[in-house]
Formats: sequence, C-alpha cells, structure tokens
Amino acid sequence: MRTEARRLHRWSWPFLAAGTIRALIVPVVGAVVASRGVLLSRLDLLSVLFVVPALVLAFMRQRVYNYRFTDSGLVVRNGLLTKNVRHIAYERIHNVALVRNPIHRMLGVTTARIETAAGGKPEALLRVLSLEAAEDLRRYTLSEASEAAALDSSGPAEAEAPEAGTQEPETARAETTTETAPLLQVPDRDLLRLGLISNRGLLVVAAALGVGAQMRWLEFARTPRTIVVQDWLNDQGWRGLYESIRTRAPDWASWVFESGGLIRALFLVLAALLLLLVVLRVFSMAWHLVRYRGFTLHQNNQGLRAEYGLWPAVSSLIPVHRIQLVTVSASLLHRWFGRASIDLETAGATDTKSGIGGAAGTASTRQWLAPIIETNRAHALVREVLPEVDIDGVEWMPIEARAVRRIATRTAIALMPITVAIAALFTFSPIPLSGWHALWLPSVVLSMAWLVARQWVRRTGYALTESVILFRSGWIGLQISAVRFVNAQTFSMSQSPFDRRKRMASIVVDTAGAGGSGHRIRIPYLDVEVAEGILRRLYNETRGTEFRW
Amino acid sequence: MDDREKAATPGQAKENEGAKLGTVAPTLADGEEHPVDPLTVRVARIASFLVILPIAMIQLIFLTIGWATGGMAPPLYLGILGVWLMLFAPVFLLTYRWPAARYRHLRYQVEEDGLRIRRGVFWRKAIWVPITRVQHTDVAQGPLQRRYDLGTLTVHTAGTAGAAISLDGLEHGIASRLSDHLRPAPATYAN
Repeated sequence: MRTEARRLHRWSWPFLAAGTIRALIVPVVGAVVASRGVLLSRLDLLSVLFVVPALVLAFMRQRVYNYRFTDSGLVVRNGLLTKNVRHIAYERIHNVALVRNPIHRMLGVTTARIETAAGGKPEALLRVLSLEAAEDLRRYTLSEASEAAALDSSGPAEAEAPEAGTQEPETARAETTTETAPLLQVPDRDLLRLGLISNRGLLVVAAALGVGAQMRWLEFARTPRTIVVQDWLNDQGWRGLYESIRTRAPDWASWVFESGGLIRALFLVLAALLLLLVVLRVFSMAWHLVRYRGFTLHQNNQGLRAEYGLWPAVSSLIPVHRIQLVTVSASLLHRWFGRASIDLETAGATDTKSGIGGAAGTASTRQWLAPIIETNRAHALVREVLPEVDIDGVEWMPIEARAVRRIATRTAIALMPITVAIAALFTFSPIPLSGWHALWLPSVVLSMAWLVARQWVRRTGYALTESVILFRSGWIGLQISAVRFVNAQTFSMSQSPFDRRKRMASIVVDTAGAGGSGHRIRIPYLDVEVAEGILRRLYNETRGTEFRW
Repeated sequence: MDDREKAATPGQAKENEGAKLGTVAPTLADGEEHPVDPLTVRVARIASFLVILPIAMIQLIFLTIGWATGGMAPPLYLGILGVWLMLFAPVFLLTYRWPAARYRHLRYQVEEDGLRIRRGVFWRKAIWVPITRVQHTDVAQGPLQRRYDLGTLTVHTAGTAGAAISLDGLEHGIASRLSDHLRPAPATYAN
C-alpha cells in the first residue's frame, strides 16, 4: 500500500488564507483602534497589506503541501522555507475528524484533522480535501491496525460535536452499569476536617472581596445598612469601635481592657489574628461542605464515578484506564487527624471541540479520588482502583544521604541575607531583646536548615515494582506519587553543575497531561550510577508495553 | 565535506543484535553513542551571526552618524566605541564558541526499540524515548540546513514536558532513516 503523493483540494487556498487572516484579525483591529479609526478609511491599504500576502502565502502553501500513504503510515510534507516531513503511523491514529462548515458544504470539501495521542496541536490538519479524498484518507488510516485504537479512543467523555459533518460512528455504549456499594463515602465530619486542613478560607474571602468590589463599582454597596456602618465609623472612628466593644465585653474578659500598655496591645493583636484565623477556617469548612458534600465514589464497569457537591452538584466519570498518575498526600494537619487526600491526574484526547482550527490536544485534569480519607484506608483505596499500585507492599529506596549537606547549604545561603538583616535589627535597635546576643539567630537558622534537610532526605525515596514507579517526599507532610510503566512516556536524567560535582543526578518520568503543579515522579539527589540504573530499568520495562488511551 | 568524513556516523558502526533479529536496519540501531553531524556547528554559527551581525551593524552605524554629524565629541565617540566593543566581543565570542560546545555535548544513541539523547553543556540531560511511546515524527529542514544537507528530527510523544523531543543537526539522510526506524513496527503489539 504505497501511493503517490496527493495534493490538497485545489480550492484549499482560501481556507488556508482564512486561517492566517483570522490570526491577524486581532492585531489589525488593535491597529485600527490605536489609529482612532483613521485606518478604517484606508481599508484598501489594509487589504493590500494583509489579505493579499495571506492569499499569496496560502496559495504557495497549498502548492507544497502533500501527503501520501506508505506501508507503515501517513506521510505529510509541508513548509515553504523550512520543509517538514511528518510520519504518522496508522496504529497511532485515533480518529480522523472531518469538519465542515456551510462554506465547506457549498464547495463540497472538508477539513480533515488527524488525531493521535500526542499532546499539543493536531497532528495533521488537512485543509481542505474533496469528500472522496477524505473518504480515502479515512479508509487508509482507520483500517486494520487502527481499529483497536479507534475503539479504545471512544472514551465516555467524548461525543463528537454536532457540527462535525461526517463523524466516526461512536461505539454506542449501552448504559447498563452495574453499580456496586460505593468505594468511598466522605462524611460531613471529614469535610469539616478537610476545611480545617486546607486553607481555602482565603479563597472565600477573595471571592467575597471580589464580589464586594464589583458591587461597589455597580453602586450597589450604597445600601442603607452599609451607609449606617460607614457613617458610624466616620463619626466614632476606630476608637469608638474599641469603646463599644469594651463596654459590651462580658465581665470575665474585662481584665483585657484594664491592664495597660504593651501587653494589652499584644494581646489584642493576637486575639485579632486568632479571630481572623478562626473566621478563615470556618469559611474554608463551609466552602468544602458546599463543594464536596456527600462525596461518593462508585465503581462500575465503565470506570469510577464521583458524585459530590451542593453547588455545583458534580457527577464526574473517572476513566480508570486514563489515570496517568496518582498522588496520596498527607500534610502535617492531615496527619494530626489521621487523614490523607488522594488525587489523580487523568489525560485524554479532547476532540470534542471541533472548531475548524480547534486544537485536538490532550486535556489534563487533576481531580480527587478522595478529598479526605482515613490514612489506613487510603492505600487500600488506591489498590482497589489501580491494583498494581500497592503502596504498602513496596520496598522504599532512599535518596543519597549526602544530599542533606547540599540542601542545608543552599537553604542557609538563600536565607542568609534576611537572617543577617534581622540579626542586625535586633542588635542595633532599641526594642527589647536587643543586644549582641541577637547573633544567636544565624546559628539557629543554620541548624534549623540542617534539621529540615535531614528530615526531608530521610523521608524522601523511591520504589520500583514490576509495573509501577513510586516517589515519596516531604519533611513534615508526606506525598507519594505513583505512575504505572504503561503510562510513562519518556524518562530523563538531569544533572546541574552542582550535581555533577557531587556525582548526583535527578530523574523525571514524563506522563501525559502532566500540566500545572503537583507532586509527580521527580526523584532528585540520586547517585549517578543509581540514576542510570533506574533509567535503564524504566526503559526496559516500558519499551515492551504499549501506551493506549 | 571532509568534516563529515571524520565523524563516526552510525553507518560505519559495527553490526549488533539489531542485525541478528533483522527487525531494523542493522547499521542504524547499533546501540552506540554518536555525535551529530559536525557541519551543524557551522550552520549554528552562521545562523546566530545572521542575527547578531545586523544588530551590531545598526548600532555601529548610528554611533558613527552621531559622530559624523558633529553631535558627539571624538573622545566621547571613541569611549563609547570602546565600551561597545567590550560588550560585544564576548557576545561574538560566545556565538562562535557556543555551537561547538553544544555539539561536543550532544550525543544520540539509537537502540532497536528506542532513542536516547544526551545533551547540555552545563546542565546535562539524558532523555530516553522508547519506540512504543513515539506518536509521530518530523524531519524538518530549514534553508540553511538544506545548503549543508542537515535536518532536524523531532519525536512526538503523548507526554507533557517531553511532548516534542528534537534532535538538531543530523545528516538529513540519517534523520529520515531514524524517523523510519522510530515508527512502531506492527510486531511490537505485545502489550
């Protein structure tokens, strides 16, 4: 099966130009606005400057663009100055999306978008093909080998957008789900704990402030009540407020207002801070109750389903085969309550938005498997969802103990300027506690840095099983991440100049959809030899497995 | 092209297991580290000089105009020229030396079932890509590269940080063969 090179449809250039022009519209409108409309009267100039070159460019691009089918895959050639030859193996092609808008229909053509699992831009955008050519394309690419992949790609969250003209017939999944007892049900008590643990209170305050600002901007804030409060504050001032609190204070608290001077001030400041903290935490608890009320995790034959929330009420499907990474985290507060949190990173081809140029990349989401769960059940839950990931059963390997010195030194150097500044302030200022003895500060900082670094290095480590790599880190909290070899994409080993001097290296395992922040497999401070060994092992384990969505 | 003669391209390497299994071109997947084409140093130098030189020329011309129109006293002109030279000499030196340093530290290794790249002058990095994770490959050739018959191979995976891994400065023919090699053979469907 080896064909001659095929060109795009001869009416491709207007569509290609349309893409370019669309990209230019924003700057052009910007220029028109910047010129205060003067440019608008010179539309002829604008069109000569932008439209004509775009058309010429599009025509040239159409001339050089071609594709052909070879034994192993689709080969697309394009590029005017920089020539590019792209090979896409048939096995890797998930879908050939044909997108048509009314203009396409009028001319009897279609845009074809070739989709694979690769992140980022569409793998190939054939703009535009005749319908016969598009059918050919689908026949060639979506035949034998790719059938399995195509079936597999029809994830639950993906229904082709209606405007897509001819579509891949979605494998109709009968909604016969066999629900069993929920894997996890989070009681309200635990959500309150979660509110205490995670500091979402500020989020609520920020939202309230934002809304408040918005309201004032809309002049809604001038309601009688706020006017009263504002006027009262204007009249009485903060002293008035203080007086009114003092007169209303109960007897047992009156001593606060009687004792004088510094102590009282300090106490009041502390009380205010404490109050703020309490209020923030209460907000945080309320937020979590609203957001995650009744969190239930079900397992059925389609995957996992999480249902939660008063507002918005969410029911989300977690396709188990798309879980790329799982993280169990326990901060200090988590540990005080004997709880942990589990989150997942899933990734999948998002070919739902099929605007013509719409990127068919991969969307990544980090979502809760369990917002909060008893520590002793956390690892069992992970095992239930991903049987290979047996966190308790693995043998943890340490990172290099030599790292303590490096981390402590680095922290000390980073903190030194501010430490010296504070020590100087203590030493040369008239406030209490001053004097030369303030020089204790640097030594305390140094030893603290050392202790923290030692603790971190002690608890940080990695583990390799037959099918999973795990990494844990943290000094008072602990986070454990696991990636199945099937989901690992590439492996890298990095060495900074400092690493090289100490013969150390760090290892990163790249997965799909690893966007944003979060704990992942990034093992630092390994001995070079050990790191090479891990890399080889990972590579050997992975090369025989096939990655599928 | 005698530069190229000196370089050990995979074509000259000994045969290995890949040959025994007969799945891939035996000379490419030899499992040995290779440098890229030495001509890439020249290409990189030309490319960066093409950027640096116009900037330098424009600055020099403006400076000279300032002096020639009498707006600037000669000692001032010479002083500024000296400072300019002092600032620009390292830049020129760097554009000359850096491509060579980068070339020295860039190695690739083709395995029967994957590709390894080692790079970085100060911050070193080794990337291992199993073929089973390659989604598609690009072989690109810019105008300058075309002149020297070089190409850039880009391997796309479903990963995030390693979504597109580029290997710059291969001989174009090798880049194409490598791109062929890195395609999943139907036989790898072991799962």
